[in-house]
Amino acid sequence: MSTDQRGSTRFLIIVALLGMAMVGLVVRLVVLHLGSPEQDRATAAKTRTFKQTVSVPRGRILDASSTSGIMALNVGVKDIWADPASLSASNRVFSTISRLKPLLEFDVAEVTERLCRTNSRFAYIARLVPEEKADQVAALKLPGVYMDDAATRSYPQNNLMCHVLGFVNSDGVGSWGLEQLMEKYLKGSPGLIESQLDGRRREMVDRRIREVPAKDGADVVLTIDQHLQYIVEKALDSAMERNRAKAAFVIMQRIRTGEILAMASRPDFDPNRYREARDHQKINRAIAVNYDPGSTFKPAVIAAALNEGVVKPETKFDTENGRWLYQKKVLRDYHSYSQLDVKDILKKSSNIGTAKIAIMLGDQRLYQYLRNFNIGSKLGVDLPGEEGGILTPVKKWAPISASRIAIGQGVAVTGLQMLGVLCAIANDGVLMKPYVIREVVAADGTVLLRRQPEILSRPIRPETAKLMRNLLARVCEDGGTGKKAAVKGIRTAGKTGTAQKVIAGHYSETDYMASFAGFLPASKPEIGMIVVFDNPQPLHTGGAVAAPVFGEIAEQAVRYLGIIPEGEDALSQTDSRGPASESNESF
Amino acid sequence: MAKKNRKKGQAKFPVPIPIVALVAVLAGLSLVYVCLQSRTETLGREIKLLEASRDRLRDQLVREQCEWARLQSPSSLDQALKSHGLVMTWPGRDQIVRIRYDGSPDTRGMDTRPVSRMARADRIVMNVN
Repeated sequence: MSTDQRGSTRFLIIVALLGMAMVGLVVRLVVLHLGSPEQDRATAAKTRTFKQTVSVPRGRILDASSTSGIMALNVGVKDIWADPASLSASNRVFSTISRLKPLLEFDVAEVTERLCRTNSRFAYIARLVPEEKADQVAALKLPGVYMDDAATRSYPQNNLMCHVLGFVNSDGVGSWGLEQLMEKYLKGSPGLIESQLDGRRREMVDRRIREVPAKDGADVVLTIDQHLQYIVEKALDSAMERNRAKAAFVIMQRIRTGEILAMASRPDFDPNRYREARDHQKINRAIAVNYDPGSTFKPAVIAAALNEGVVKPETKFDTENGRWLYQKKVLRDYHSYSQLDVKDILKKSSNIGTAKIAIMLGDQRLYQYLRNFNIGSKLGVDLPGEEGGILTPVKKWAPISASRIAIGQGVAVTGLQMLGVLCAIANDGVLMKPYVIREVVAADGTVLLRRQPEILSRPIRPETAKLMRNLLARVCEDGGTGKKAAVKGIRTAGKTGTAQKVIAGHYSETDYMASFAGFLPASKPEIGMIVVFDNPQPLHTGGAVAAPVFGEIAEQAVRYLGIIPEGEDALSQTDSRGPASESNESF
Repeated sequence: MAKKNRKKGQAKFPVPIPIVALVAVLAGLSLVYVCLQSRTETLGREIKLLEASRDRLRDQLVREQCEWARLQSPSSLDQALKSHGLVMTWPGRDQIVRIRYDGSPDTRGMDTRPVSRMARADRIVMNVN
C-alpha cells in the first residue's frame, strides 16, 4: 500500500468518526428537544421556574393630623444568617463571631452553639437588624454569612398611645389594639411573581410567566391627636408619680361627634418592645376595666329625676346631718348637712340626698334611664377588649339597691361609659357612639372606610341637659367638690368621685378610685374628659387627686384646640352662634 | 471555423436562487430575532435593576418618614426645646388677639371661621411645662 493510499484511509476514518460523533450529537439534540419524556421536560422546567411571593408593607397608623403624625409603620430590616456547615468546615466559626460581635447584638454562647452544628446549613445570627448595621456587616464580606430582607413594625413615638395602637407579633400579625382590630385593612395582599431563572440562577424578566401585583396595606387615620395625647400622657405621668397611684387613665372626647381625642392608660409599655411588657401593662384601663364609679354616677340619677319631673333644682331634701339609716343600713355623707336642695346635693356631692332622689324616682325608672345612658352594655367603640360594665337587672334589685346605685355603688362602669353619661348631658341629651378611627385610606388614595358620628340614644331632653350643665358647672365653682378642675376664663362643669374599691367582696376603707368626669365650656361644650386614679396615696379623693389633673389637661387642650374663652365670642360680629356665655342663666 | 460554445464561460450558480432567497430571509429573520431577544434581555435586566432600585428607595423613604415622625413628635420637640434652654408656655388670655374677617377690605384674608368651628382649628405644637 502506497503512502497516498494510507493517508487517504486515515482521512476517511477520521471523517467517519467525526461524522458519527456529529450524528450522535444531532440525535441527542433532537431527542432532548423533541423526543425526551414528558417527565424530564417537566423536571427541567421545574428547575428553571420559580415562584416568589412579593411581601407588601403593612399600612401605617396616622394620628388626626393625618400627614405628619405617623404612629406606626413598617421599616425594612435584615435577617443575618450563616451556613454552619461551611463555617465549621473552614474553621471560621469563632473568627466570624468575633468580627460580628462589635456590630450586632446577640448572645455569643447561643450563636456559637448554633454555628457549631456541622450538619446544619442554616442558622440565624441576628434578626431584624437595621439597614445601617446590615451595611456594615456586608462590608466585612464574611464568607458563609448571608442576609435576607425582612420588615419590622416600628412605633416612632414609643410608648405614646400604646394601648390604642397595640402591636404586631413576630409573624407580622396584629395582636393587640388597633393593630389587631384593623388587621384586614393594614396587612394588604401580597403579590406573586412566577418566572424562569438563567444558568446563574438569575431571573429572566423577559420570561416572566405570571405577575400578580401586590396591594399595599391601607393607612388607618385616627381621631386621636398626638399633641393632645402627649399633653394628656405627660400630665398623667406626672400625677401618677405625685399620687403614687397603682394605675390611672384619661379619656378626652369631642362632645358633638363622639370622636376620641386622647386616650391614655397607666401603666404603659413600649410597643417596639412588646415582649418585655407584662400583661397588666398592656391593659387599656379606659375601656377594659369595670370599676365602681362612686359620686361621678350621681349626675345620671339626678338628670333622670329632673327629666321625669320628680324633683326640681330647688327641691329640698333632709340630708339627716350626714347619717341616715335606710333598710337597716347606714348611709353616710362625707360632710354633714341638715338640709340641701338638689342643686347643692350635686355641688356638695351628698350621698343621702342623691339616694333619696333615686328612691323617689323608683327602681324601674332609674333602671330604664341607666340603660338609656348605656350603662350595662358596651358602647361599641372601635377598639378590642371593651367591657360593658355591670348593671344588675331591676327584678334582681334589693330594696336598698336604688339608694346604693345612685351613689355609684353596686354598679360598675368603664371609664368610657362614665364619660358617655357626662358627654350626653353636655350634648343636649344625645349619647354619641365613641370612635377612634376616622378613616381608612388605601395606598392609591381610595377611602375604604369613613366613620360618621352616630347617635346611640337620647336619654334626657335638651332642656334637662341644659339644666344639668348648669348644675354641674356649680360643682367647679367655689364651695364645690370639683373646684380644682376649673379652667381660668372657661366655665367648667363636672363631677368628682371617690369610690371605695371592692376587696374580697367588701368595700375597702383604704383603697379608693378617685375620679373626675366633666366637660367644657359648660355653656357650649366642646370637649369632655374623664380622669381616674386607682388607689392614689396619700390623698385619695377625686377632688384632690383627679380634678387638678383634669384642670391641667383642659387648660392646655382648650388653647390647643382654639376653644374661645366665654365672653370673647360675643365680641365677634361674624359668629353665627351668638353669645355663648350662660353663666347668668337661671335654673 | 469552430462553432462558438455559448454555454462556455457561463458560471453556473451551485444552489437554486429560491433556496438562497429562503436562506437569506431565514438568516435575516434570525438576525432580527437575535437582536430582539438581546434587546428584550437587556430590558429585562433593566426592569430587574429598576425594581430593585424602587424597593431600595421605598425602604429609604420609609426609614426617613420614620425618622421624621420621631423627630417631630411632641416629646422630641419638647426635649429639643429643653436642651436649648427654651421654655415655651401657652399664651395668657390677654396675650391672644383674634382678628376675624368682618367683610371690610382691611380684614380680608383673616380668619373666617365661626366660633363654633374653633375646636377644629389647625394645631400648633408647643412644649408644655
